[in-house]
Order: sequence, then structure tokens, then C-alpha cells
Amino acid sequence: MTFFDHPQDFDVIVIGGGHAGCEAALAASGMGMRTLLMTQDLDTIAQMSCNPSIGGLGKGQIVREIDALGGHMARVADLSVLSAHTLNISRGAAVRAPRAQCDKKLYQFAMKHTLELAKNLALIQDEAARVWTEGSELRGVATIRNTRYKSKTVILTTGTFLNGVIHIGLSSFRGGRYNHPPSDGMSPSLEALGLKLGRFKTGTPMRLNGRTIDFSKCEEQPPDAPPPLFSHFTKTPKRALMPCWITRTGERSAAIIKANLDKSPLYSGRIKSTGPRYCPSIEDKIVKFPHHTSHILFLEPEGFDTEEYYVNGLSTSLPEEVQLELVRSVKGLERAELMRAAYAIEYDYCLPVQLDYNLETKVLPGLFMAGQINGTTGYEEAAAQGLMAGINAALKIRKLAPFILGREEAYIGVMIDDLISKGVEEPYRIFTSRAEYRLLLRQDNADLRLMPHGFTLGLIPKRFKKNFELYKACVGALTKTKGGAVERIGKRKSGGTHSSVSKPSSDNNMAPWTRTKAESTVKIEKEYSGYITRNLREAEKMKHFEHISIPDSLELAAIKGICIESRQQFLKVRPRTLAQAARIPGVTPTDIQLLWIHLTRLAKG
Amino acid sequence: MLLPDTTQTIVAPASAPGSGAIAVVRLSGPGAFRTAAAFLKPSSVVKNPKNRFSYLLSAEENGRLLDKTIVVFYRGPESYTGEDMVEISCHGSPYIVSRLLSLSIAGGAREAGPGEFTLRAFMNGKLDLAQAEAVNDLIISEGETAHRAAITQVEGGISKRIKELRGALITMLGELEVRLDDSYNELGELDIKAFTKRTAAIAGKIKALADSFKNGRYLKHGIRVTIAGAPNSGKSSLLNRITGSGRAIVSPKAGTTRDTIEAKLTLSGFTVIFTDTAGINPRTSDAIEREGMRRSLKALKTADIILWVQDASKKSSPADRRVGAAIERGSAPGTDLVKVFNKGDLPGARTPSETADGTAISCRTGEGIAALKRLLIREEKKIFSTESSSVITSARHYSALLNSHRELEKIGLLGTGRSFPLELAAEHLRGTLTALAGILGETASEEILASIFKNFCVGK
Repeated sequence: MTFFDHPQDFDVIVIGGGHAGCEAALAASGMGMRTLLMTQDLDTIAQMSCNPSIGGLGKGQIVREIDALGGHMARVADLSVLSAHTLNISRGAAVRAPRAQCDKKLYQFAMKHTLELAKNLALIQDEAARVWTEGSELRGVATIRNTRYKSKTVILTTGTFLNGVIHIGLSSFRGGRYNHPPSDGMSPSLEALGLKLGRFKTGTPMRLNGRTIDFSKCEEQPPDAPPPLFSHFTKTPKRALMPCWITRTGERSAAIIKANLDKSPLYSGRIKSTGPRYCPSIEDKIVKFPHHTSHILFLEPEGFDTEEYYVNGLSTSLPEEVQLELVRSVKGLERAELMRAAYAIEYDYCLPVQLDYNLETKVLPGLFMAGQINGTTGYEEAAAQGLMAGINAALKIRKLAPFILGREEAYIGVMIDDLISKGVEEPYRIFTSRAEYRLLLRQDNADLRLMPHGFTLGLIPKRFKKNFELYKACVGALTKTKGGAVERIGKRKSGGTHSSVSKPSSDNNMAPWTRTKAESTVKIEKEYSGYITRNLREAEKMKHFEHISIPDSLELAAIKGICIESRQQFLKVRPRTLAQAARIPGVTPTDIQLLWIHLTRLAKG
Repeated sequence: MLLPDTTQTIVAPASAPGSGAIAVVRLSGPGAFRTAAAFLKPSSVVKNPKNRFSYLLSAEENGRLLDKTIVVFYRGPESYTGEDMVEISCHGSPYIVSRLLSLSIAGGAREAGPGEFTLRAFMNGKLDLAQAEAVNDLIISEGETAHRAAITQVEGGISKRIKELRGALITMLGELEVRLDDSYNELGELDIKAFTKRTAAIAGKIKALADSFKNGRYLKHGIRVTIAGAPNSGKSSLLNRITGSGRAIVSPKAGTTRDTIEAKLTLSGFTVIFTDTAGINPRTSDAIEREGMRRSLKALKTADIILWVQDASKKSSPADRRVGAAIERGSAPGTDLVKVFNKGDLPGARTPSETADGTAISCRTGEGIAALKRLLIREEKKIFSTESSSVITSARHYSALLNSHRELEKIGLLGTGRSFPLELAAEHLRGTLTALAGILGETASEEILASIFKNFCVGK
């Protein structure tokens, strides 16, 4: 076969232009790497194939973390926001999170433009056919047009495209997203490298024409004013925001589903792969919770300049005719017209226990993976992995230590540790309950937790450094104030005098940070102080074990007494630290101690 | 936590149970002195003791003297483990040892895991590499023993009960978590009053289980078999024969044994402590013999099994009947009684119907001893299964239950109003489950999620 060898050599090639791919390409190029982003279709860059919504509980915190590290999702979401809420506003500050409805097209174009403007970043519309290796070394990527691109590292962010199969009712066809061809060559290419693949399923509900919805029968859900923002650097948009609408399914909807279950690929056994439990189809809800006579639905606009509405809560893979009947059984949707049918999709993912902490595959140095290929779902989860993979590819090329976030440091750290230590049984979504140090991982302190890393990596512009330090000092000063900032603010208002602490900077000279934000963070930390101390103490204990590393060369067979189950788990995951080893399911305390002693002996001997 | 927490103070007996005049309980860790000060008096001494000095101190429980003890304090790193250490030498009674353990646990220590003292010594550079091999073996062997005990306990009801409590806690945590993730309040508010009531109920059950530790007499320190009988019926000979030792002095003279004597034997994996008693002779006027009698009666009271030894070469005597009455009066209800007819090698003096309800043996020839052992194994299994289904027998489980109870109680302090902080209640439920991990292993976040998806219709 003859190849066209592309004349340019790259440091990093990113395969896929979804949320993981965009962040990966921007991080790598932002760190000075000659980067290429390759996608089947430049018009679907950063497409929100399911709900055009960013954030939520856990996810919202991740977006804040991405922003604090210098990623772009937060800024683009703020730019395209059309409706937004702070969730859990009635609950404690530690568990609040922002969620936004975005203009689907605006988001895409804003991200595409960001990519186009990025220095060191090239974009190409082509489809990767396989990872190009010579012997046991990574050379780059070969495309279906027989072009070869040479690169030191490759980041795969293939989303749902690997061997994608779409189901609507009992008919199924191949596709990576509706109307987009799947990627056929990549899966065999990965298997040839010795990587194990699995198969997952996900789905998306139908879209309706808003002109045919009777909103007067629905409950209005107005946006928060002003809307919460994701980015530390953006200002409240001037544009008027839009409401979302709430309606409910009824008994007739349930009857329609029950009568047509035999036409559901999920219930007829056509789809065998695992879908996410937390994102059930309406069939699942009706069958598993028969005593619920009604299920809530959110009608969410897809953009400012379109009448298309996303029906949040009506995910299904029933046939189109049943979908129409089902939709029309809902109050307010009696005359609704279907613009796009709901569908389910099955795709290959790559077992994430085969990855290292830096998201590099253990079998082929230089090959990184991020997003749904690692068994996750969600734009935010994908973007965060993309960012981390992009950063780590750059660090590898610069021969620097990998960038790994701890479980006590970020949701991103929790997610990656979960993925590579525990693997996935269903598409992985972040939940705040996955974090053992939840009170530390808040949306209000993402900057304090992570921005120092953002500066060190060079992904946050230097010009913010001075004001960030001022902000940190302000938080520090307010924390030290006796009796707490809250009281002091009250005193000041009632004409009292300031304490001995020097007056922290006014809002103007630490933009984009403000004194109000500092006060709010300090107030939260004081409210939770006993618990935060406890979280920190627990994390500190664990840290000791996080620092006991397990060398690649460790021969498990040399450790006497470890039981077979633990040994198999160790071989599968190949943990990097003692703490990680202890988090692997099914490992016994005795085995961890034996491993510990062995490691200590190695270190001493 | 799966990894041994080196910031905690650990406690364990450092001497074998029931085997000597004195026993040693050892504490090690940053809080060793503080823990000791919780029950060793005068506490002024304990708070700031001289390094490597021994003190005569009173171990007190609820203000009452438990035992006079000799205590040595070691300041780290000048100790076996390299940490602050306290060694308490007390009288060699399993009861005193078990009380000292629970006092230490109540004072903030937890029971040491298999080989943990040695592990700490190794980690703190107190052992060289050659010795480390021994640490390995120790952990493997002690771990196996603990593992076996755990398996046996799983068959009992206690583990089932803890599992049920754990399941209930996970469900409750799920109820909190699902609301913390309920973006638009679809589920409705949690009934806080009912919720705190439920936590209090579970806390009560955990407390009751923890309290049962005090009643759990046997497992950790062995099943107690008291050998009783009329003078010169061959009690000491039986002790020597069954344990294969010369622990008791025997002579043809009645009343050779003046005090109770203990000897230990492992029977089918269980530790059995045999106590040989002085002959029961209520009519004696000898002061020493009377004291021996008092001790014999006490040994009857604490026995799990009583072996009533009778001389089958003689006719049933008034002395035998007095012993029978003493056993009836002196033993705790439910104690198993096994009649043993000794001296079977001599011409018998009793009718078959008189000996039908017992086991014939001969301490001199050893005849019938194996059958007696088999009978004891059956009895101990019976005791084991009844007791392990109702009481906590491991100090480790005890401390885990105590810690989880402490955590759970804090939920009650969070209030009951609208401002009830779900996220903090979740912290405490998590803490409760982490404490229980000492018994049933870690609670994975997957289990909490599974409980949510099972019980609630969530997700869009």
C-alpha cells in the first residue's frame, strides 16, 4: 500500500473533536506542543449529541476544576448559556453546583473558533483508521485516506464511534452518532495492540418542534438571575435568557410503553450491552417503578435561534411510531411534532484499568485515551480527561513528571483513580458520593485548589497571577479574623470597627476575583470547619500511602502469602501506589500489609 | 480502612491466654500514654511518666479497683515498636485481661491486627531485613487464624446481624445521597424526624451488640472447662492426662490440690482452658482447704463446661452427692455438665445404670480419654454456635462497633428542623460505615449508588 506521509511531524495528535478531544488539543498546544486535531467532520466539533447542557452536581464542580486548570469548557459554556440554575440552593453550600442549558450551535462554533485561534494547533478533517506502530513503538496515525501523520504521542477520544450501532425500535444500523458513520478500523487496531475492549450502550431522547408544544399546559422554570457562571474569568452575559418547561407523563404513557415493550430492543434482548443506571430509559422507569404513576419531564430549548426542544426524561429506544404516541400522551405535547427520534447506541470502549494515572496506555507508551473510550459518559467527564491527557502528553514529551490529581484535590482525581483502579461496570458518571472528601471539593474553591497548577503548567495566563495571589491573601486574612468573616461583615455594617487584620484588597484591584467571593468561601469553610478538618486529617493519613510507590519491576510472585484473588487483581490493575492497591475491590487487608512490607524491604535493601 | 492506620494507638495481650500467673497487655502508638491514663491511677503519674520506669498502678473500672498492675512506660523511639508504648503486667486472669482490653479501647485504642506490633517495629526501623521475613510469616499465620475465626463467625448469627445493620445504613445513606443529587426536588423532602429516629434505632442496636462484648466470655480467651469432684477422685490426674502435661501435682493423698490450677489445650481449633479445682469438701475446717474450696466454687461459676469426676471403683458416696449439690448451686444456668467415671481400670463398684449417663475413663491407662475429647469438641461447638449468634467475641469487632456507634449518635445532634444538613449527616453515616469496615470490609461507593438506583427512580 502506498501512503502519503504528511510532511509535518507532530508532538501530539488528537483523534476526535468532541469534548475530550477539544480540551486535549487545547491543553497540548497551549503547552507549546505541535498539535494536530483530527476529526471526521469539522462541523460537529464539540457537538452536544445528547442534552445541550453543561454542569450539574459533581459535573458542575468538574467544569469549575477544568477552568481552574486552564481548560476551555467553562468559558465556552458561559458564552453560550441560554438558561442556568444553581442546584441544591436550599442545601448546604458544600453540595451546590451550577448547571446550564447552552445554545448547541453557539457552543460548537465558539469552541471551533477557539481551536482555530490556538497557536501550535492544526485541524484536519479526516478519519483515523488505525494507530501507526513500528515494532513496539508508536509512530503516529494512519487515516482511511492512506495518509500517515507522524507523532510522538497520540490521544484517542473516539466517543461513541468505535463500532457504533444505533437502535430505534427493532431496526438497527451502524453509526457513531445519528447520520455519522462509525469508526470501523480503530477497534481491531487497538485489539492488535493487546488492549481489551468492552461494549456499552447509551441513548438520547427525541427532539420536538417548539411551535407544536402547548407551553400554557406546562410549568415554567425560569432561569436564575443572574445565572451562575462556570468560569472564573467570564462576566454575566447581557443576552436575555430563556426558561425551560416542566410537564409529566401520565397513566396513558405508561400503558403505551407496557403495550409495546416487545418492540423495545432493550426488552427484546437485541441490546445486550450495559447502559447507565442513572440515565434510565422511560421503559426502564415504567417497568422498574410500576407504582410511580407519573414521571417528570423537562422541555429544554436547544438554542436561541431554533424551535427544537430536547425532552429531558424521555430517553427511549422504542420504535418511532410508539415514540410519537408516547409523546402525545403527555400534557402539553398532545399535538407535538417529532423532529428527531430518540435512539439508543452501542459502542466499544477500552477497559480503563489498562491505563496509567496519566491516562497513557500501559501497553503502548505514547498512546493516551480520554473520554467515552475510557468507559465514561458526560461531556464534563470527557473534557476533564481530555485536559489531563493533553497535559500529560505534553509533560511526557518534555520528559517531566506526570500531572496527577489526588482524590482529596479534585473530582477529576477521584474520577481517574476510580477508572484505573476499579474499572467500570457501566458507563461511569461522576457523583459527589464518589468523593470521600466531598466537603473539600467544592465549586467555590476550585480556583484555590487547582489554579496554582494551572499557572505552573502555563495554561492560565501569567497576567492573572498577581490578582490570584491577592485573592488568596484576602481569603487567608479573612480566615484568620477572629470570630469569622460572617460576624465581622455584620459588625462593619452596623458601624463597628475593623479588626487588627489589615483591610483586604477591595474588589477592583483583584479582578476577576472579588472580596465578596472571598467572604463567601471563608463563610463556608467556617460553617464546615470541624468537618473540613476531619476530611483533611483523613486525606493526610492516606497521603502517606499514596507516596509509597510500586515499581514496574515488582514481581508479585516474590511476595509470599498473598492470596490468589488479590494477586489476580494486582496483575490486572498493576497499581502504582500502595494506596491505590488498597482501593482495588476484593483485596484483603493482610495482602496489603504483605505488599507494604515487601515494598519497604525493597526500598531498604 | 484497609490499610493499617499507623496514627492510631493499638492494644493487644502480649501473653498467651490462661497460661500463667501474670499476663501482659501492651499498648503502642501516639496516644498510648493518654489511653493508659484513662484507667490507670493515679493518672497524674501516667500523664508524665519517667521513661522505662516501672510503676505500681491501679487499674480502675468505673471507679472500682480491677487489679493492681505493674506498668512500664517506653517513650518512642526507645521501645520495641519505636512508638510510645505501655506494658501493663496484671494478674493472669482472662477476665482481667479482657477488661483491660476493653478499657483501652474505650480510652481510644483499637485492637491490633495480626502482627501489627511487629509490623510497626519493622516500619520504624527497629527490625533488620532478616527479621522482616519473620514478620511476614507472623502476619500470614495470624492472618490465617483470624481468617478462620472470621469464617466460623460468618456461620454464626452475629455477622448476619451486623450485615443487616450495615445494609440499613447504606440504604439510609442512599436516601441522603439521592436528595443531594436531586437537582429539582422531584423526590420531596426527607422526613427528618423519621430519619433521625431510624438512625437512633440502629445506634441502639449497635450499642447493644457492642455491650454484648462484656458478656462474651469465651472465644478470645478460650472455653473454660472446670474439673470438679470429690477429693481424690482423680481430677488432677485427668488434667495431666488430657492436656498431656504434668501441670498438676498428683498424689494418692486426698486434698493434694489446694488451689485451682489452669492448663490450656487446643481442641479442634478452639482454645480450651481446663481448671483443676480443689476437692469439694464443705465440712472441712482447714483454713487453706476452705480458701481452696472458695476458689473451686468460683471456677464452677465461670465454667462453660463442668467435668464432674467420680471414682467408679467406689460406691456413690455422700461426698459425691455434696459435689453434685455444689455444682447445682454454684454453676451458672445453662452450663454443660459432663459426668466422668474415673478409675475404669479398677474393678467397678457401680451398677451400669449408675454410670450410663457419663463417660468411663481411666487416667492411669488413658482409656476413654479420646472419647472424652470428642465429647468436649461436640460440647464446645454447641457453645460456640449459641454464643456467637448472640454476643460479640472479638475485641476488634467491639471497637469497630463502639466507633460506629459514636459516629451515628452525632446525627442526633444535627437538629431536626428544615435546616438539617443532609451533607453532614452523610459524613457521619459514611464514618459509621468506615468504622464497620473493620468487621465486614470497605463500603464501596458503588454499593451506595446501587442502593439509590434500586430504591429510587432517578435520572433523566
